[in-house]
Amino acid sequence: MNFHRRLLMLLVFTLVVALAGFNGVAQGQAVKNPDTLIVQSFGDPESLDPAWEYDTTSSAIGTWNIYETLVFFSGARTDLYEPMLATAVPSVANGGVSSDGKTYTFKIRQGVKFSDGTPLTAEDVKYSLMRIMLMDRDGGPSWLLLAPILGFDTQTTRDDKGALIPDIYDRTNRAIQVNGDTVAITLKDPYSPFLSILATWSVVHSKKFVVANGGWDGSKATLASFNNPAKPDVATLFDKSAGTGPFKLERWDRGTKTVTLARNDNYWRAPAKLRRVIYQTVEEFGPRRLALQNGDADILGGTDRSDQPAVTGIPGVRIVDDLAQLINSPALFMTMKIDPEGNSDVGSGKLDGNGIPPDFFSDIHVRRAFAYLLDRQAYIDQAFRGKGRLGNGPIPFGLLGYAPRGKWYEPSKDKAVAEFKEAWGGQVWDKGFKFTLSFNSGNIGRQTGAQMVKEAAEALNPKFKIDTRGITWSTYLGLYTKSKLPMFFIGWGADYPDPDNFVVPFMHSTGSFAKAQGYKNPEADRLIEQAARETDPKKREQLYFRLQELAYQDVPTIYLIYRAGFVVMRSWVKGWYHNPMFNEGWEYAYRFSKGQ
Amino acid sequence: MGTYVARRLLLLPLVAFGVTVLIFALLQFLSPAQRAALFVTNPNQLAQIDGIIRKYGLDKPAHVQYWIWLKELARGDLGWSQTARMPTSAAIGTFFPATLELTIYIFIPVVLIGLWLGTKAAVHKDRFVDHFSRFVAISLRGLPSFVWGLVVLMVFYGWLAWFPPGRLSLEADLYVKSPAFRPYTHLLTLDALLNGQVWVFLDALRHIVGPAMTLVLVEMALLVRVTRSSMLEVLRQDYVRTARAKGLAEPVVINRHARRNALIPVVTLSSLLFVGLLGGVVLAETIFNYPGIGKWGAEAAVQLDIPGVTGFGMFVAMLTVLGNLAADILYASIDPRIRLQ
Repeated sequence: MNFHRRLLMLLVFTLVVALAGFNGVAQGQAVKNPDTLIVQSFGDPESLDPAWEYDTTSSAIGTWNIYETLVFFSGARTDLYEPMLATAVPSVANGGVSSDGKTYTFKIRQGVKFSDGTPLTAEDVKYSLMRIMLMDRDGGPSWLLLAPILGFDTQTTRDDKGALIPDIYDRTNRAIQVNGDTVAITLKDPYSPFLSILATWSVVHSKKFVVANGGWDGSKATLASFNNPAKPDVATLFDKSAGTGPFKLERWDRGTKTVTLARNDNYWRAPAKLRRVIYQTVEEFGPRRLALQNGDADILGGTDRSDQPAVTGIPGVRIVDDLAQLINSPALFMTMKIDPEGNSDVGSGKLDGNGIPPDFFSDIHVRRAFAYLLDRQAYIDQAFRGKGRLGNGPIPFGLLGYAPRGKWYEPSKDKAVAEFKEAWGGQVWDKGFKFTLSFNSGNIGRQTGAQMVKEAAEALNPKFKIDTRGITWSTYLGLYTKSKLPMFFIGWGADYPDPDNFVVPFMHSTGSFAKAQGYKNPEADRLIEQAARETDPKKREQLYFRLQELAYQDVPTIYLIYRAGFVVMRSWVKGWYHNPMFNEGWEYAYRFSKGQ
Repeated sequence: MGTYVARRLLLLPLVAFGVTVLIFALLQFLSPAQRAALFVTNPNQLAQIDGIIRKYGLDKPAHVQYWIWLKELARGDLGWSQTARMPTSAAIGTFFPATLELTIYIFIPVVLIGLWLGTKAAVHKDRFVDHFSRFVAISLRGLPSFVWGLVVLMVFYGWLAWFPPGRLSLEADLYVKSPAFRPYTHLLTLDALLNGQVWVFLDALRHIVGPAMTLVLVEMALLVRVTRSSMLEVLRQDYVRTARAKGLAEPVVINRHARRNALIPVVTLSSLLFVGLLGGVVLAETIFNYPGIGKWGAEAAVQLDIPGVTGFGMFVAMLTVLGNLAADILYASIDPRIRLQ
């Protein structure tokens, strides 16, 4: 080893020790910036327009800090709501939900003002819902309101060729009716999770403000020019705010990637305790950690489990762990109809020991063999420091329909061998196989999983060969959409806290994962559709339990973990609380304050 | 001279054309879905991927996309940079001044230290200064800039809390964004002085020291070594002996007679260094969270932000042409023997 290498290693070693062990000047430090909350994380928001944004950072900034929804989650619950901009949570009992389960009526709170001082009206609520539904940018959140309100065959406002559906405006306009200070929304079919969607996606904004700033006037005539804007800054609220929430947007400095929120002094309740909330994008973990240690950041977002030791034990820093999360990620997917064209991931493309046929995973024994093979608890321990529950189906722990006694494959070498021996008439065991297992590069948890699958399989039979490959997200996406990946990791986080949001992508034949895998089970499709309509939670739960059995029997996907989250913050942050729908930890900073 | 400069400037559009054609030709190797990854960052968006491809014309052949891009360019629009969250031209205008400012704070110390230490080393060849400068230069250069960056950050921010990352502290940032502050040049240190706000100047300076120090440490090595070897060669020349024989004082011999003639390779290297720094010092900008153009360019490249990468590539190519031109003009002023015809 030459001198430079040794010097380099010495320095890196010193650095690691220093980063891990040195705790700086934080002890007994006075509260820095006492009326400003500073959050540092790695992603920057895409747009602050509620009709455009569909990423966790933008939602964290806007949904409940700048804006508000008709109803909101009660404390840490995701199945219980409290009124926010509506005066009551509608139910069949209080007459807010019609007996056929289709019409939801909201009385809009009086005396609420937007941050510019203009009063909130029922018309604003209708306008906001229509704007979110009809802007419908590709890749956006509009489907979350369109589908339940206009029916699940309406996932978008455009046809297959991209042309606007002619009657889409009228249908939307008819479905949402204003009568004095009430707004009534009529769904095409009863959809029991509807309130949970409204609790996250009914983001109310000021019609007057949007129109005054050159935005959509809410009319049918101008819809075509408003629908699916070419560029994000065309949407009026891209970098402006017009909400009723406890804060308003002071500035989004895209140069320094900083979003500054200032207290809304026109707030309808007691004003927020914090004067400002600042969100800074800092890509690297090292500087974020130092900022936390020096008190220049109050909350750190996006901390990987593997970085947890580096933030543990810093004086004045608190880690809140074991937070419930509505995330099913990662899971291990097998593609039943692989596209073999020019695809080196399937090797020779034949079952000759140097590859796999494109329909390799269509044999249930192959899939079961892999399910027996992987020691998932060991995986959770290794990749997630043991923080999480074993997965057993598409619905994560914490949601209705999660099956606490749902069966899954216990790790067993013998059973894996037995399944492999049965697969493809014994050819798999005799001839062996070779394929590539992919993960998106940079994702340590998935990389660890890929390595474990490889080691387990190759230890079973010397003729088994798995290459693991980390590929960039863009390449991953390109291969995924063409069903080129034989076996891969991906995952899903809740758009709204309801099992339907999970079972569709994972198990419905039209769902985005199932479709790419080539998984289709008519019974699964039927159960999913039936459960979405079912209003009785007990009956719904039974349908989802049955679906979990199908997930176990068919095992197109090996479920691994329902993760527990953690948030890193200065202990001088007061008033913090968690709801499983919060991903970043400061989605609702209204009651936050700073103090010793 | 005038025609020479004009001719070189005429090259600019040609270079821009070449660079952009190259970037669009590279697109041929990427599938539409790969390019859609810029807009699909979340698996929950997977169902809408076809619409995204259609909307941004990602399935059109590269030459068609290039034509669309050219038409936009004719309207003065470089396209939307999704990674910068703003139009590409605005992104260049936003990120470049920060990098320019940082570059100035790196370039001046590098050149001064490089010339001084390089000269010293050559004059005192095989003596302590020479060995010392060689040791320092090689060991500083021997480590990648991200390691130095982390060390500097650790020591000067983590331990001493002197030089924080970013570009301004909270209070200074609020002040700079307020109407009371006029951004004349967008170089913060200069603007602060022009506004008569010494505290803002000091604040901006405090933030620039970290990345600047890191890069000075790494970049000066080459200049020290090149100055030294160039000086050694010149010092062997007859005219230097003549100058000494005339009885001129040693500093005059070194500084006026020898060094000036040793400068040609140094100027070449410096101009490359300057342009290289302007093109972006990705690692230092990333580690110190400094909002420069390199960090954006790298992110745009990784995320396949085509308008962003194209605009960035074009801009850097032009900078390179201009940098070389500046070096050529400098040669002429240093050495009259060089004719620019």
